[in-house]
Amino acid sequence: MIKLEGINKTYFGAQPLHVLKGIDLNVEEGELVSIMGASGSGKSTLLNILGILDNYDEGNYYLAGKLVKNLTENQAAEFRNRFIGFIFQSFNLIPFKTAVENVALPLFYQGVSRKKRNQMALEFLDRFGLKGWADHYPNELSGGQKQRVSIARALVTSPKIILADEPTGALDSKTSIEVMRILREVNASGITMIIVTHERGIANLTNKIVHLKDGVIENIEENNVKSVDFERDIK
Amino acid sequence: MDFWSEIFMALRRNKLRTILTGFAISWGIFMLIILLSVGNGLKNGVNTNFADRAKNTYTIWSSETELPYKGHKANRWITLTDKDIEYLENHLYHVDEVSPVFSKGGTLIFEDKSKSVQVEGVKPIYKNIEGIKIKEGRFVNENDMKTKAKVVVIDKITAELIREKINSDKEMENPVKVRKTKRYKKNDVSILGQLVMINGINYTIVGVFEGQMWGSMGQCYAPYSTMQQIYNVNNKYYQLSFTTKGLVTKEDNENFRKELKRNLALLHEFSPDDQRGVWIDSSMLNALETNKIFNTINVFIWVIGIAMLISGVVGVTNIMRITVKERTFEIGIRKALGAKPRSILMSIVMEALIITTVFGYVGMFIGVGLMEIANKVLESVNAGKGPNDVAVFMNLSVDIKIVLMATIVLIISGVIAGIAPAWKAVNVKPIEAMNNRS
Repeated sequence: MIKLEGINKTYFGAQPLHVLKGIDLNVEEGELVSIMGASGSGKSTLLNILGILDNYDEGNYYLAGKLVKNLTENQAAEFRNRFIGFIFQSFNLIPFKTAVENVALPLFYQGVSRKKRNQMALEFLDRFGLKGWADHYPNELSGGQKQRVSIARALVTSPKIILADEPTGALDSKTSIEVMRILREVNASGITMIIVTHERGIANLTNKIVHLKDGVIENIEENNVKSVDFERDIK
Repeated sequence: MDFWSEIFMALRRNKLRTILTGFAISWGIFMLIILLSVGNGLKNGVNTNFADRAKNTYTIWSSETELPYKGHKANRWITLTDKDIEYLENHLYHVDEVSPVFSKGGTLIFEDKSKSVQVEGVKPIYKNIEGIKIKEGRFVNENDMKTKAKVVVIDKITAELIREKINSDKEMENPVKVRKTKRYKKNDVSILGQLVMINGINYTIVGVFEGQMWGSMGQCYAPYSTMQQIYNVNNKYYQLSFTTKGLVTKEDNENFRKELKRNLALLHEFSPDDQRGVWIDSSMLNALETNKIFNTINVFIWVIGIAMLISGVVGVTNIMRITVKERTFEIGIRKALGAKPRSILMSIVMEALIITTVFGYVGMFIGVGLMEIANKVLESVNAGKGPNDVAVFMNLSVDIKIVLMATIVLIISGVIAGIAPAWKAVNVKPIEAMNNRS
């Protein structure tokens, strides 16, 4: 599903910062992968490149068999809309839209009719137990509810992969478990998922842990999650 | 369709922002309309006050000399005589018809009513010279002149005073009948043929004229010959008025005035450099003078108007910039979710367009509406005024084309102001935009 070959990325600021120094990575369809690393290791940059939110300097990135390189803004938008679902640490819901409108937004950019997309959005909210909150604004929702809304939003377009940037970073541990359980369920339905985290407990709930350090992959750890581990592992 | 409802929703959900932007626009347009229409109203009002006068008339007043000249001492009173009239009529090509004017203040008495009036003894031609409009009856005629008839033409307000007196007399005579037929209408009673006494002499009213007097005194016209006889003026004149022909430009008039002064100086032996001796007044030169003032006022109004428009444009630009900056976060999310740059740019520009158009129209509507109400009020105020009063403002109006142009300028500047920051925001990386939470 994802194939990275020698990805290099340098930020040219006051001092050039070589963030990614040749990343090679393969993620198969349906995998649940976490990327771990200390802050400054380049994990967020890697996620941005995977999400086509940022471009890279060298190497090749294949997404679902297509080379993602030197895309125009329009092509990138199209890729993001069709293939990728994002989940952010700070939820990034639009404050002046209701839950259902937030979830329906990606479909708006696909040109789905209002009636159809609201209906689809409602189905996804229902799936995460938020049907009763559909007409509430983000500031009326709890952190866990907000993250579930943003998961619904990431899934509504039936993307090929879900990219989650510290999805539990702003949540308490109980809510974190709940969110991780949902993400695992989503993954179990066949959607490839990549989670960036700095928490070992969260990484332990994924099947493959990629350790990133100073812009290179240190090692890739296979991890066998048993459902029993679930509650205990999250600490 | 979906695109529009998305925009309207964004506008509805961000009421404060929408209203602030809109207010800047509405206010700009509103103030521009008020400014321009008040300027026009002032112009219309004052023009009407002057319009009653025939355009190109001259008046010569006799006066005292200021400089000694050819053996004459200073402060000598110059008297105008028939010789001057003869000279003006026969030797100056541009002079059309001359009327001497003899003014006398006095008291007009009708039964037990009295009023201060100014009586002017004039020739029939004076009607044309001053542009006097007759409302009832007639003006002084040649026959009056020949027979030295004791007739008088009075102003509307004085006529009203006399009419009321006649009406109340009738009510006294026959109170029952009057009550049944309500009141007599003012115009039912003719005052022509009534006798009035001015300074102890009885005159017959032959006409009523419509006109605007300055001050509260009444104004009457009597035949010049009559006045001459009564007041024993002989052939001395203090004021001569005449119409002119062939004087078109300002230059013509200025040259003519100089020539006239030179000739009169020669005739009456006072220094041509004397600032006094005779006063010469030209209605056309006066009018040009007034126009000059209006042109200055007009320029002033336009300068303020344009300054207002510029401040409106700056206001809109600023609000658009802030709006886009404020929305960077939202734009970032939308981009991450797959919004294409064009769609984001379009929605921002369209929002700006809708706000400026709608609120520009609102400002226009309120401005024009207020102007219309002010017009109605002015109309009733002006109607209530007697001929003694002057309408300062009249018919407030504004060229709707100018207003539309101003609105369009604001709309376009609002849109252009929105495009630059929107373009910047659209091209920012989604991640940076999303981190930029305000």
